[in-house]
Amino acid sequence: MAEYFFELVAEEIPAWMHDSAQATLRERLTKVVEALGVAEAASNVTVNSTPRRIAIFLTGLPEREADRDQEVKGPPRKTAFDAEGKPSQALAGFLRKNAATESDILPATDDYVRIRRRIAGRNVAEVIRERMPEIIETLRWPKMMRWGKGEHSFIRPVHSIVSMFDGRPAPLSIFGIESGTTTIGHRTLAPARVEVTNYNDYVTKLELARVVIDATRRRHVMAERARVLSNQVNGAPAVDVSIWSQWQYLTEYPGVVRAEFQRDFLSLPEEVLVTVMRVHQKQLPIRDEKGNLTNYFLAVLDNDGDPDGHAAYGNSFVTNARFADAKFFYETDRRRKLADRVESLSHLQFQEKLGNYLDKTRRIEAIAAAVRAETGVDAESARTAAHLCKADLVTEMVKEFTDLQGKIGGIYAREEGQPEVVWQAVYDHYLPVNIDDTLPRSAVGAVVSIADKIDTLAGFFRIGARPTGSKDPFALRRAAQGIVQILLNRDRRQVKIGIDRLIDIAIAAHGVDGAEAGTLRDDLLAFFAERVRTILEASAWGFAYDEIAATMEAGWAPSLSDLVDRTAAIKAMRTDSNFLSVLDSAKRIANITAGEESAAVDTRRLQEPAEKRLNELAGVVGEQINEMVAERQYRPALESFAGLAPELETFFNEVMVMVDDPALRKNRVALLRRIGGVAMKIADVTKIVVDRRDYRA
Amino acid sequence: MSRVTFQSLILTLQNFWAAKGCIIETPLDLEVGAGTMHPATFLRVLGPEPWNVGYVQPSRRPADGRYGENPFRLGKHYQFQVILKPSPLEVQELYLDSLRAIGLDLTRHDIRFEEDNWESPTLGAWGVGWQILLDGMEITQFTYFQQAGGIDLSPISAEITYGLERLTMFLSREKSVYDIEWGGGFGYGPIRQQDEFEFSKYYFEVADIDLHWRLLDAYEGEALRCLEQKLVLPAYEWTLKCSHVFNTLDARGAISVTERVGVIKRVRDLAVACAGQYLDARRELGFPLLAEKAS
Repeated sequence: MAEYFFELVAEEIPAWMHDSAQATLRERLTKVVEALGVAEAASNVTVNSTPRRIAIFLTGLPEREADRDQEVKGPPRKTAFDAEGKPSQALAGFLRKNAATESDILPATDDYVRIRRRIAGRNVAEVIRERMPEIIETLRWPKMMRWGKGEHSFIRPVHSIVSMFDGRPAPLSIFGIESGTTTIGHRTLAPARVEVTNYNDYVTKLELARVVIDATRRRHVMAERARVLSNQVNGAPAVDVSIWSQWQYLTEYPGVVRAEFQRDFLSLPEEVLVTVMRVHQKQLPIRDEKGNLTNYFLAVLDNDGDPDGHAAYGNSFVTNARFADAKFFYETDRRRKLADRVESLSHLQFQEKLGNYLDKTRRIEAIAAAVRAETGVDAESARTAAHLCKADLVTEMVKEFTDLQGKIGGIYAREEGQPEVVWQAVYDHYLPVNIDDTLPRSAVGAVVSIADKIDTLAGFFRIGARPTGSKDPFALRRAAQGIVQILLNRDRRQVKIGIDRLIDIAIAAHGVDGAEAGTLRDDLLAFFAERVRTILEASAWGFAYDEIAATMEAGWAPSLSDLVDRTAAIKAMRTDSNFLSVLDSAKRIANITAGEESAAVDTRRLQEPAEKRLNELAGVVGEQINEMVAERQYRPALESFAGLAPELETFFNEVMVMVDDPALRKNRVALLRRIGGVAMKIADVTKIVVDRRDYRA
Repeated sequence: MSRVTFQSLILTLQNFWAAKGCIIETPLDLEVGAGTMHPATFLRVLGPEPWNVGYVQPSRRPADGRYGENPFRLGKHYQFQVILKPSPLEVQELYLDSLRAIGLDLTRHDIRFEEDNWESPTLGAWGVGWQILLDGMEITQFTYFQQAGGIDLSPISAEITYGLERLTMFLSREKSVYDIEWGGGFGYGPIRQQDEFEFSKYYFEVADIDLHWRLLDAYEGEALRCLEQKLVLPAYEWTLKCSHVFNTLDARGAISVTERVGVIKRVRDLAVACAGQYLDARRELGFPLLAEKAS
């Protein structure tokens, strides 16, 4: 078995781009390896990277491609042979060109001469050598650049290439750079060129040249070092997945340094300290055993140690500088109350056509007031929180640290003595930011969050700025998803309002009415329906696509929690043999009544005993089912419906529905619709896909 | 290593880059926010002519003023700016050599290049690159210019911008910018703290808003008039004056968000017009620097 090893050295590639670049390369290379007939191709492909290099290692490769047969189409039969059946000039030429003889001609299947040609498999080194340049040069990076004379476009300038097949050079050229047999060590610790032959040799020699090629190993080394350094000051590194995924691509030779900031900065809000360290400095705070911040923190090094304490000094220096600035903002901000800032929001544009943030605040207030009125949340708290929620956008702190929006407002509101429910509602009103995020801590917070999001949605839909395809610049899908997540929640923070009602409130707050309001409503409903479907499918309930489609068909906008109950009932019942009765009845009714006219059932027109009996039963059972539906007893309701099946069977056996008499036909259709309508309050069960073999009678 | 002073750093960098084939320019005698706005950068990166230059540029950012009270932030700081055009493949190594030249043993420090892209809406310019961190502290901005004045660049220039006060503070282990030595035993604080205070007070509290709006109109008018006369270099200077007036109004809190977008566009339109006209003018002259390098 042969192997291939490739390395590209470039200038520092942004940390956040490595994972997806590796994934793309892995996918492309797996296809190449697969095409060579290698079993379990993916497990024979290794892609690793450091800030300055991408390394590729392919194993289990054949030396040569397998030979294969190929059919080649030649001249038409009628021109291939002369009158005596001898080969014509045309055929002779064709055979010569393909190095074939007359005996290679295949039995006729159409009007052309065809031969089978044996194609010799090529040298695999040759195949890979040919494919690599395209695989690398066509990588799409999130932000490409040109350099030097500007002829090429990549993530950063490329410096050198190694390409080796089984220890021998497999020469190629990428961006005009010819591959060689040497790589380079660590930028400052071992900057010499190093001769390499194969991947194992490369990994070993790079270690000596202070480069660890495997990202996971770099991460483990740093995690262990971080633990030890934190222990020395009786703490532990803060839990933070995103920092580690960045650190592993910010260093070739992994190391961690512990530094400290001036203790008095601990008086700043924790959120500010953590954001400055994590987001702006890519540093990891150290917490004590109680989970409180200490004035120690960790930073990544491209070196296994800090022999003279320079890195500890530098990191302290810069963090103190950032905190000094934060303190300046904090002290400046607190000279003016949040409530006094609300008017200044008129200077801050929300969107050109949707006005400024004061306009938005007014709409959030109106929407929150209306939602609150229907849900029984405390009026005063909701009003104050809605009024203050955007005020932090005109603080110095949020201007500098935008990702603290909401949180800063909440912190300032707390310090100004606002009640807990109010400051928390301000603090939380951007939540949930994504599908795994927590919800606002109180119902008041939930109301303000919903009001802000539905205002944004209604506004952008109004001006025609809705998401298309993968483009969603205003994060409208996320906003709608956030609303759905909040409305699905049923603990003490529950907000009981339908999405249809919410949309109407928001449309009114935007002052839209008439036909425009109707279109806007329909568009928003359709948009939300898509979100609801997606979220329910991905939810822990494990609903199937057809279950959701069936229950949504019976209505979803007035109550999402009701939708969940109905879907849960369908999910629970679909494996019962009873369910086949429900399904068969509903399908039969749907099929026969499709496209037919009907009105209410006229009892005087009921003739046959079977239809009279069915009508009586529809009345009695229908009533029972209605009561159960009202109490959300969906499963018993479906079972009652299943109980109608034998009577329905008798009806279909004894009564002809499609009679010529139009009045009679209409009445029988109406009766069937009445029965079917009972189930439609729960779901359109005909949308459920069943495999009858799953049911044992 | 003898004590690093503000001016020893400047002298070392000038000598280093001069030895690498750069001409040493002098600072632009106008208020600018960054060395990038000096014609030796913004205009020279346009077109095919090669260009290697290094210079100090006092950079005024009215909104960054802290009344001389913050030990790290200044309303006016000094940059050392280098342009290498076309960007040589070994540009990062050249840069690291410049750090070695100022006395850093890089095997005992942590040096990292972290992604940091640059964009100037007022100049219609952008580039990609890094902030260079020395022991966790940003000491240099490194940018491969991709576009300037709305024009795609070819060849590409590498821009290296050192923050001089920062670097001096770090190298001399001072905790405040006002404690570093300028040179000859003179401190940076006694020389600069007064103007940090006065200009902070001026830009934040005193600057006449109406006057500055009028200046903006007047400077813009004059820039346009120069452009009509095909006098691109004067036009560009008036453009820079517009930019500074904009920064002053901004620091003074006199520009609403809506106005902001409008003013930025006015300045950008001038910068874009200057870039286009400069390129035309150089072409008419037969791109003199191209010929000179070739001969």
